Amino acid sequence: MSTTKRVFFPGCSLPSYNPMAVQKTLVHLQNHLPGTGAILKCCGKPTKALGQIDQFKKRYAGVQSEIDRLDAEEVIVACQSCFLTLSEYSPKQKVRSLWTILPEIGLPEEVRGIGKDSDITFAIHDSCSTRYRPDIHEGIRWIMDELGYKYEEPAHTKMTTLCCGFGGMVLPANPDLAQRIMKNRTSEVQSDYMVTYCAACRMSMMMGGKQSLHILDLVFGGPWTSKTPFPGAGSTVESWKNRRKAKKSIEKVLA
Amino acid sequence: MKADTVREMLPVIEDCMGDAPPYCHTACPMHTDVKGYVNLIAEGKYKEAIQTIRQKLFLPKSLGRVCAHPCEEHCKRNEVGNAMSIASLKRFAADNYDDEFDWDVTREPDRPEKIAVIGSGPAGAQAALDLRRQGYSVTVYEKHPVVGGMLYVGIPSYRLPREIINAEYSLLHRMGIKIKLATEVGKDIPFQEIVDTYDGVVIAIGAHKGFKLPVNGKDLPGAIQAVDFLREVSLTGTYKGFGKRITVIGGGNVALDSARTAVRLGAEKVHLVCLEKDIKEMFAHDWEVREALEEGVILHNSWGTEAIKGDDKVEQIILKKCIQVFDPKGRFNPAYDEGCQEIVETDMVIFAIGQGVDSDFATSVEVGRGGRFVVDEKTLQTNIRKVFACGDGTGISLMAVEAMAEGRIAAESLHRYLNLKDMRIQRDHERGYRTNLETSIPADDTNPERVNTRKLDIATRMRSFTEVDLGFSEEQAVEEASRCLQCECRLCVKECLMLQEFSPDCPKKYFKDALIAGEVDPVVPYSCNMCGTCTLVCPKDFKLQDAFMNMRKEMVMNNGGKSPMKGHKVIDMHQLLSFSRLFNTSRPARNGTNQPTAPTGGGK
Ligand SMILES: Cc1cc2nc3c(=O)[nH]c(=O)nc-3n(C[C@H](O)[C@H](O)[C@H](O)COP(=O)(O)OP(=O)(O)OC[C@H]3O[C@@H](n4cnc5c(N)ncnc54)[C@H](O)[C@@H]3O)c2cc1C
Ligand code: SF4
Ligand code: SF4
Repeated sequence: MSTTKRVFFPGCSLPSYNPMAVQKTLVHLQNHLPGTGAILKCCGKPTKALGQIDQFKKRYAGVQSEIDRLDAEEVIVACQSCFLTLSEYSPKQKVRSLWTILPEIGLPEEVRGIGKDSDITFAIHDSCSTRYRPDIHEGIRWIMDELGYKYEEPAHTKMTTLCCGFGGMVLPANPDLAQRIMKNRTSEVQSDYMVTYCAACRMSMMMGGKQSLHILDLVFGGPWTSKTPFPGAGSTVESWKNRRKAKKSIEKVLA
Repeated sequence: MKADTVREMLPVIEDCMGDAPPYCHTACPMHTDVKGYVNLIAEGKYKEAIQTIRQKLFLPKSLGRVCAHPCEEHCKRNEVGNAMSIASLKRFAADNYDDEFDWDVTREPDRPEKIAVIGSGPAGAQAALDLRRQGYSVTVYEKHPVVGGMLYVGIPSYRLPREIINAEYSLLHRMGIKIKLATEVGKDIPFQEIVDTYDGVVIAIGAHKGFKLPVNGKDLPGAIQAVDFLREVSLTGTYKGFGKRITVIGGGNVALDSARTAVRLGAEKVHLVCLEKDIKEMFAHDWEVREALEEGVILHNSWGTEAIKGDDKVEQIILKKCIQVFDPKGRFNPAYDEGCQEIVETDMVIFAIGQGVDSDFATSVEVGRGGRFVVDEKTLQTNIRKVFACGDGTGISLMAVEAMAEGRIAAESLHRYLNLKDMRIQRDHERGYRTNLETSIPADDTNPERVNTRKLDIATRMRSFTEVDLGFSEEQAVEEASRCLQCECRLCVKECLMLQEFSPDCPKKYFKDALIAGEVDPVVPYSCNMCGTCTLVCPKDFKLQDAFMNMRKEMVMNNGGKSPMKGHKVIDMHQLLSFSRLFNTSRPARNGTNQPTAPTGGGK
């Protein structure tokens, strides 16, 4: 009989950006939710976004077969695109966002209040793909409150959030427009610092001219102050290396 | 284009409100670009403003003063009680920036056909102008020695100075329209002769025949009709046998004009008697009643007329209490309390209870109730095929700008008739209509008050026919124009940079053009972020991203399963690697924990 009740599904942009956060999240989930396995795989959203619908279906079948092989009833996702894709194409599984799980199980004790003395106010950028999920928005604010960092709500926030500029695979197709959309997003924000909960959004905010972090950078790193060096763009090679690292660490944690 | 793609596009093409004109625009029977010129005034571009107005209206100064402005009734701001002062803004632009050297006097090359227009009111004048622009030879017959119809012989000069009418009508002369003044068709020239001589005829004779109530004493000297009274005052500056005490019967604008004219002729007491129970229920504009009250007019609401008394001229009018104007079914059906009467001493009674049409001269043309010409409502054609009737003479229009629209319709019909073109196709929205636009006043709007024009002081007003309304100062005009909400949808375009770049007008236009062209540039669907902002703001909840997604799918299908965008090769590679074993793993859960950490204060 399977002991795997659920799997953590970090997606691809987060592992490419911060494999350490993937590992620590998995450990934390495991500690509080015994029976958590993990799948490192792409949900296929980029393929789908290009309009390659047959290709996508083939690829998603691979994702589904892994979930079925582990016999997981629940999938915990850290990416909002994964959230939508899995919700739509894995109707038998319960798909949950990490950002609503964390408020339930709590953050690691040692990080509570870690940001309370920080001189930074982070403007929150909500992902447009989950604009109609207030539970996710609230989860993110809960995490920020727990960590103790100050935050700013942009004029367009939560349900009315603006696109980061990365969606729909526009960046490679029309880089000039994508750049303007990024700028458009960051221009309505007061703070020089932003926090996102999608690694692609983080990249966009950075390209839009802001010092930007993923919220897991705040949970599993820091305290962040204006003196802390912020992560940059990272090369393609680096991101594939990171993904290898994520794979290795998942395999280590769940050895 | 594939059916799936088209299916997503069609609802947008049909129902997107991106090109829907604002409320003011469609309420105007002449479809003046109100939003456009009001904005130009707000921006201080007055010259451009009057040019915009002139594209539709040849008498902006006149209409700026007297237009009954249906646009203001339908203005979005009227929902919160502060309609834009559109007519006065038009007047501001026209009074200060209209230049007759800028007038458009161009026309098509001359045509051989000759056309007669009977009547020079707004309907006849508009028809004459439109037909002349098409190159026809046009002759206008006018019974009075002046042009303008009711603008001149009805509306008093304290509302519309005569030199303005004459100046604006000079366009007709400059266009080469022949005007025969003081020439009454049916008296000075037989109607049949006109029908026989001309290739087409437009009857635009208005409604100049006053009615009297069927009460005792109605034919006593001193009991007269408002239109006759106003006409004589307009043409001669006075009224023969004018008395000191005047009673006007009626609650509409004509009654108000009569009462206020009587004040200016020096009457000591002016009574206004009407069935309606208060100012709100009266047909006249509220402001007009208020101005009359300021000038000393005594208002008798809820009174009907029992009889007029006098030996050999009017001496008294006997009123009876009106207890109902409309019956429960909504029909005009006044009821009285016969026991409750009032006697008013008066030297004159002026009936202002509506007008009929003096159509007796046109014996061959079919007429209906009140002498009104019977026409096909769409084409305004009468029973005689080359004769068209328009304006108040058909009973379709009730105000100057409506009469102009009727004149325009008649001209278009006659032009089609003479050129053997279909008279009925493509004739939607030739009058005022309701736009399909749906907008809401922004939540942060402060509902600024309507700016009022300056007025002549009451004392001077009561002594003379000097114009009462002094219009806006420049500062007032800009302030008023700045209140305009510039009503339009295009919410999606305002939010989305991609639409701004590729579909700057609105999605309707983009999809329509694409459908007609049968293809789209791949860069457009591949520039949609799929972020859903359009759907969020769209009152119709259109999912533009779905339409763009279907275009992508179709393009991929036509391109061997690949995106047509060069830049997407990277994504192909990325996806290939993303699904490779090198970067994938899946692990079942493990028993036991790694390092115990106590939960923090979570739990929602
Ligand atoms: C007192 C009064 C006040 C009004 N106030 C307003 C107002 O403030 N705002 C507004 O928008 N509208 C107002 N109206 C209504 C408006 O004036 C009319 O709707 C408009 O003038 C109708 O235009 P028309 O061209 O159909 O007719 P008219 O303007 O009546 O013109 C008809 C012309 O035909 C001529 N004619 C008639 N019979 C013959 C014939 N046999 N031979 C030759 N010529 C002939 C007449 O002399 C007249 O010049 C008012 C009307 C009246 C009576
Ligand atoms: S929001 Fe855009 S798509 Fe929707 S109705 Fe308005 S213009 Fe059309
Ligand atoms: S607010 Fe301006 S655009 Fe809107 S209906 Fe009124 S005048 Fe027209």
